[in-house]
Amino acid sequence: MKKLAMIPILLILSGCNLRVLDPKSQTASDQAFLIYLSFGIMMFVVLVVALLFITFTVKYRETEKNRHDIPKHEEGNRTLEIIWTVFPIILLIGLAVPTVMITYDVSYIGASSDDNALHVNVTGEQFRWTFEYENGEKTHKTLVLPKDREVIFHLTSKDVIHSFWVPKLAGKIDVLPGEETRLKVTPEETGTYQGKCAEYCGTLHADMRFETKVIKQAEFQTWLSKK
Amino acid sequence: MEINLFGKLILLPTDVIAAWVLMIITGPLVLYWLTKKRAWPVIWDYATSTHHRKIGTVYIIFSILFFFRAGVDALFIRLQLITPENQFWVFQGDKYNEIFTTHGTMMIFFVATPLLIGLMNVAVPLQIGANDLAFPYLNLVSVYLFVTGGMIFFAAFFFNAAPNAGWTAYAPLSTSTFTAGPNNNYYILGLQVSGLGTIFAAINMLVTILRLRAPGLKLTRMPLFPWASLITSFLILVAFPVLAIALLLLQFDRQFGSQFFMGELGHPVYWQHLFWIFGHPEVYILALPAFGIFSDIISAFSRKNVFGYTSMVAALALIGLLGLMVWAHHMFTVGLGPFANTFFAITTMMIAIPTGIKVFNWLFTMRKGVIRIQTPMLFALGFIPTFVMGGVTGVMLASAAADMQYHDTYFVVAHFHYVIIGSTVLGSFAGIYYWYPKITGKMLDDKLGKWHFWLFLIGFHLTFFPQHLAGLNGMPRRVYDYTWEDGVFVYNFISSIGAFMMGASMLIVLWNVYKTHRKKEENAGADPWDGRTLEWSVPSPSPEHPFEKMPVISRRDPLWWAKLEKKELPHTENHRASPVSVKTVQPMFLSVALTIMSFGFIYGWIWMQILGGAAALASFVIRAFNDERKPAYEREEMDNEQ
Repeated sequence: MKKLAMIPILLILSGCNLRVLDPKSQTASDQAFLIYLSFGIMMFVVLVVALLFITFTVKYRETEKNRHDIPKHEEGNRTLEIIWTVFPIILLIGLAVPTVMITYDVSYIGASSDDNALHVNVTGEQFRWTFEYENGEKTHKTLVLPKDREVIFHLTSKDVIHSFWVPKLAGKIDVLPGEETRLKVTPEETGTYQGKCAEYCGTLHADMRFETKVIKQAEFQTWLSKK
Repeated sequence: MEINLFGKLILLPTDVIAAWVLMIITGPLVLYWLTKKRAWPVIWDYATSTHHRKIGTVYIIFSILFFFRAGVDALFIRLQLITPENQFWVFQGDKYNEIFTTHGTMMIFFVATPLLIGLMNVAVPLQIGANDLAFPYLNLVSVYLFVTGGMIFFAAFFFNAAPNAGWTAYAPLSTSTFTAGPNNNYYILGLQVSGLGTIFAAINMLVTILRLRAPGLKLTRMPLFPWASLITSFLILVAFPVLAIALLLLQFDRQFGSQFFMGELGHPVYWQHLFWIFGHPEVYILALPAFGIFSDIISAFSRKNVFGYTSMVAALALIGLLGLMVWAHHMFTVGLGPFANTFFAITTMMIAIPTGIKVFNWLFTMRKGVIRIQTPMLFALGFIPTFVMGGVTGVMLASAAADMQYHDTYFVVAHFHYVIIGSTVLGSFAGIYYWYPKITGKMLDDKLGKWHFWLFLIGFHLTFFPQHLAGLNGMPRRVYDYTWEDGVFVYNFISSIGAFMMGASMLIVLWNVYKTHRKKEENAGADPWDGRTLEWSVPSPSPEHPFEKMPVISRRDPLWWAKLEKKELPHTENHRASPVSVKTVQPMFLSVALTIMSFGFIYGWIWMQILGGAAALASFVIRAFNDERKPAYEREEMDNEQ
């Protein structure tokens, strides 16, 4: 029983630091901002609908008194209809503009802004990842990244489609066979973050996980040269 | 389980054995029960009749059967995910992949789509004053193709070869390089056969609605369910052939060594484009008819006409149109580039506008009405908030950059269950309770219906609401396992409890149907709900040729106004030559032929492909030289001349 009573408390506690909403890079922060913004706008819509819904169902329920009433015929109401066409358009523009801006921001388009960027080749295969650094060093289970330095991932797959996802650092990018996709991200906090394959890829899709360790730049250099 | 048979080691999973044992026990029992109840003449009647109500009933019965099968899959999924690092029965790895694939595929293709087509079959001709669908024979062919496709897909499990590439069957995973064996051939052939049936049904519905409306029933006077059916049929006509082509290309890749979806010239993303050019309209194919059902029910149970009829129709059409140009929002993470991503993000957001118009019009239909809360209306009332919640997460998903976080997580799973269960499943339940008297002449018990509703709705929200949070906490779709550190245990645990509540609510439905048919109750009458549209002007269950003398329509909701003015509906003097229901076993023959051919392709047995193909072709030839409608039409013309 005690355990059951814990459930709502656990639910609230775990709601506070959902990984996607606990960003550790600019990219993930931008995405979290969009999530909060769209959530806010949409909650407003839900509230309006809920309010009207509850009012109407309570107020116009069939009772003993109105059982035999014949409601007045009503074709529609132009003003009201214009309101609920135009108002959502305005709300959606409010969401569309930041969506376009941030989508361009988080996408890798051609040149890197940073000459010092770290390039990592990521290869997905059933059912493991390979991370290859510029000096040819490879890791599988752990992806080590320096803090505050732009990282550009070059991703490709040896077999089926996978998807590279570190929720706290950035949204996912698919890993396709015979093609290179790219993702840029600048980790801003040290720590260890979960990484997963997010595109269903076969028998052991669930086990295709890795750890992302973000460490200080100096530590990163020693780590890389020691390997 | 390992069996040593004649020196050969055979590996048999226990779930397949359990399924066979269950079938061997229950099969004879069901056959005995049917014989004892003298049900065979009735079954034969339904299997050979081209009457639209009977065909609609067959659609609904098989959809419900598949609903239970796919529902059991869902319960297995929830049992495997109930705690972290769980090992439920055999459902890890490949077996888990098989059950989520069959769950998704069945629910979309063999439950949601045919359930709505079944309801269209029952209600649309009656609502527009037609005596039957335009092509009754084609209609019977459609239902046979659906049942055949569904059965082929259903059978896969019994041969331990259930498809395992997800309901989206993304290449190259679905090609023979990565999933050898017959498994995904079942997916291709099952969908190909039933998809053909869906296309035929759409053609039939389009022609019926455009050609067979009663005199005076202009398109602008049509109830909203036929309107939704019309637009849905158009969408099917555009979308399903794309699926057929995609499946054919995949079949060539799997069986004949072509390389459309991999290799030098092919590309795996081609599959995704083709699949979603079909797949996104499919979502609206599922939603629009449900919108139509709700519009009719909300209007009837509020005792008021539909608010903003014109904008309701315009919104339906606009959703259909926009639905054709948003497919790439399923592919934001593929790397199409920010231009394509933002383009599809904005078209997707635009769909919210007509959908919003519909929601407000429903709400304002209720305003100043008299809302009678009986089971069909209860489902409609449950639909509005549920669907709005699914709709708003849809807009959140449309935001391309944010979708890169949501994509392929449980957030998406929660979203599409909110919209599909919210609209299609609640809509179908509402429709079944609403038109049940028109189908059988009896009313389903209202009290049990309310129990069903509340248990289902509460179970539904318990199941799917926590999944939003699980997704935001980084739980991807289609995983059979998660760890304690993932922090998603609580969400999954609640989800599993909710799923069993939904399952329990379906047992109430069975009990309700049993109870309704056990008692020898008198007929529910032509108009048990105080309806507004034409279907309530004919006896229940609807007879063949209900509109021998066509009603003449001068405004919307004709029956309502006739009742208010205490007048009979005016009707024509002559009856119009209309499609006739006949008995035919030809579609049954076609169905057997296609089953043989499909199994030939699934297992690559060429003699079976030739045999089945030739037999299918023969059935077309037989049909070309035999038109059983001729004498019936001649008789009808003679009657008119007298």
